[in-house]
Amino acid sequence: MNNGLWTVLVFTLRNKMRSKAFIIMTLVLAVLLVVVGNLPYLIDKLSGGDKATKVGYAEGQQPAVVQGLKDYYGQLPEPDIELVSIAGSEQQLKDALEKGDVSGYLLFADDAATGFPKTTYNAKSAFEGGTSSSLTGALQKVKTDMIIKDAGMSDEQKTQLSTPVSLETQKVSFSNEQGKTEEEQGMAIALTYVMIILLFMAVMISGQLIATEITAEKSSRVMEIIVTSVSPLKQMWGKILGTFIVAMVQLIILIGALVANLMLPHNSESLDQLGIDLSVLDMSLVVYAVLFYLAGFFLYATLFAAIGSIVSRTEDLGQALLPVTMLTLVGFYIALFGLTHPDHILILVCQYIPFFSPFLMFLRIGLAEPAWWEIVLSIGILLASILGIGWLSAKIYRVGVLMYGKRPSVKEIAKAMRAYKV
Amino acid sequence: MNSLQVERIIKNYGDKTAVNGLSFNVAEGEIYGLLGANGAGKTTTMRMVLGLILPDEGNIRYLGKAYGKEQLSMLGYLPEERGMYPKIKVNEQIVYLAQLRGMSRKDADQNLKRWLDKFQVPEYYGKKVEELSKGNQQKIQFIAAVIHNPKILILDEAFSGLDPVNVELLKSTVKELRDGGTSIVFSTHRMEHVEELCRNITIMHKSNPVLQGPIKDIKKKFPQERVMVTAAEGSIAGLESIAGVEKVIRHEHGGYELKVSLPDAGQRILQHAMSQGPITRFEVMEPTLNEIFIKTVGENHE
Repeated sequence: MNNGLWTVLVFTLRNKMRSKAFIIMTLVLAVLLVVVGNLPYLIDKLSGGDKATKVGYAEGQQPAVVQGLKDYYGQLPEPDIELVSIAGSEQQLKDALEKGDVSGYLLFADDAATGFPKTTYNAKSAFEGGTSSSLTGALQKVKTDMIIKDAGMSDEQKTQLSTPVSLETQKVSFSNEQGKTEEEQGMAIALTYVMIILLFMAVMISGQLIATEITAEKSSRVMEIIVTSVSPLKQMWGKILGTFIVAMVQLIILIGALVANLMLPHNSESLDQLGIDLSVLDMSLVVYAVLFYLAGFFLYATLFAAIGSIVSRTEDLGQALLPVTMLTLVGFYIALFGLTHPDHILILVCQYIPFFSPFLMFLRIGLAEPAWWEIVLSIGILLASILGIGWLSAKIYRVGVLMYGKRPSVKEIAKAMRAYKV
Repeated sequence: MNSLQVERIIKNYGDKTAVNGLSFNVAEGEIYGLLGANGAGKTTTMRMVLGLILPDEGNIRYLGKAYGKEQLSMLGYLPEERGMYPKIKVNEQIVYLAQLRGMSRKDADQNLKRWLDKFQVPEYYGKKVEELSKGNQQKIQFIAAVIHNPKILILDEAFSGLDPVNVELLKSTVKELRDGGTSIVFSTHRMEHVEELCRNITIMHKSNPVLQGPIKDIKKKFPQERVMVTAAEGSIAGLESIAGVEKVIRHEHGGYELKVSLPDAGQRILQHAMSQGPITRFEVMEPTLNEIFIKTVGENHE
């Protein structure tokens, strides 16, 4: 290992790892992930089935419909709604709602056109999503029952009518022997999603960190001493690698926290419902994830380092970083769009553009079936541009760190490169 | 053999020349003064000596060898604009900088403790730089430049911003380093420091070396234009009318400072003054470096 590079790397690592900001951020994120990991279970617990929402109705109004609703909820194993009869008019219902005896109440109005009463659910908040959709379903059932009761159908026919249709989606694979099962597909979507978000966060956070540190060294003029002690190239790579290791350590801690929690027995059921099964994780997909993560990280990191080197004051950094930040954002949003349209022409084109390909090629591998040459071409272009941009960034860095004053233009940088003979 | 040999270096930035044909040698145990107005090319020269920029033409040799990786560890640099990591502890950053110069952690740590003791500030060892006063930050910065025992030391405005006590402290340290054999390139705007420390100097003006050589020889080239005379009784009448006297300034404490344009005016002033009564002081002053600098650089400097 090269001595100067190693020294810079260790110094970067030590300072980052021991900084309060890093420790606090890692802890907060870990706690957040533990909560997220247990969220399905917690939601289940908090909205426990025994507490049915109480819905009031005026005694004697639309007895057939009310009885239908009562029958419907009565046959459910865990009814989410309990109908409460309240004597009196609308005013009494309102009073009951105000006192909290009921969470809402039903009002019926005759509707000659449909032959079924128009129903209003009155609640304190208009956002009673769960209750009203449950009521809609129940009322629909009651209405169907009321109509087919007179149609003279057999019970068997009635059952057939109410059985939901079955539609299953299966991805067709042309390279593998068999298509991916639903579990594998769910896992692929989850992994793609996680990887896109992680890469985006790593690029944004680590990239900004690298650029900020370089600019801070420049503005505090430590840079002048450092560049006279160690070659700028070693310094740049020491910094990038050091920050990378810090990001990795953080990532491993966070993923560890998340996976450990997802593995807990009480969470496995909720995961199954989401179609996620960690045991069917496709290992080749994980390898691709690591590959594209690394490629994306270093591509953007060198770019951020180069920009950090040409800015003299930290106040000006945000503005200078804007184009690269936008590039990352565009890549991220195209990828989010691609999650639902992995074969869209936009994705097919952008998968070869190096700044987007870490997001998009991985997405296509996970969710679609790209041909082998597409993958090879995309990775080839990506690796070539990492080398190209790394080389250019190193040159910019070499002259940038010595240029003070206003932010230099492209022309000035090119001129300085010639003058410095780099 | 000279520790540092600079041979006719030329550096152009596009169509602008930053340094034009500068040569100088610094012997072992010598402090060399590099003077010039702002923008005269001093920083570019220093950057070339430090190997940050390559000269377009000419050579720089370190102990007879061309610039290379092994030269890095023998160079020490105190930049004009001071900078350290504000939020990092003194020991950590000094050891880091020393390691970059090729020192081991242990040696660097020992050296740092020795230097802190020497500057009588051992308590700063574990403090963050931002907690120190400006003058003390400067001491730390100085330690960063010399921690790895460089053979060639480049000091850009080493004493600016320090109080007189600390200036003396650093000055005596610089002298000790010189006596220990370090070759030092010294740049400053404070001419009295140059006169005290440097044997040879170069004055640069608009990228060109305009005046070069030992301070003694340089001074001889300039006419002695100032005469100080003090009479026992106080006032001396009629000094203005002596041939060759251009200007008379009366100092608060009773003496006269005369600016003369003819070499023999001094004798006439002495005779004139003695004819009026006893005098306590008469001196034909050597030109100060300050005057020489202003004469060389200042006249066509805006």
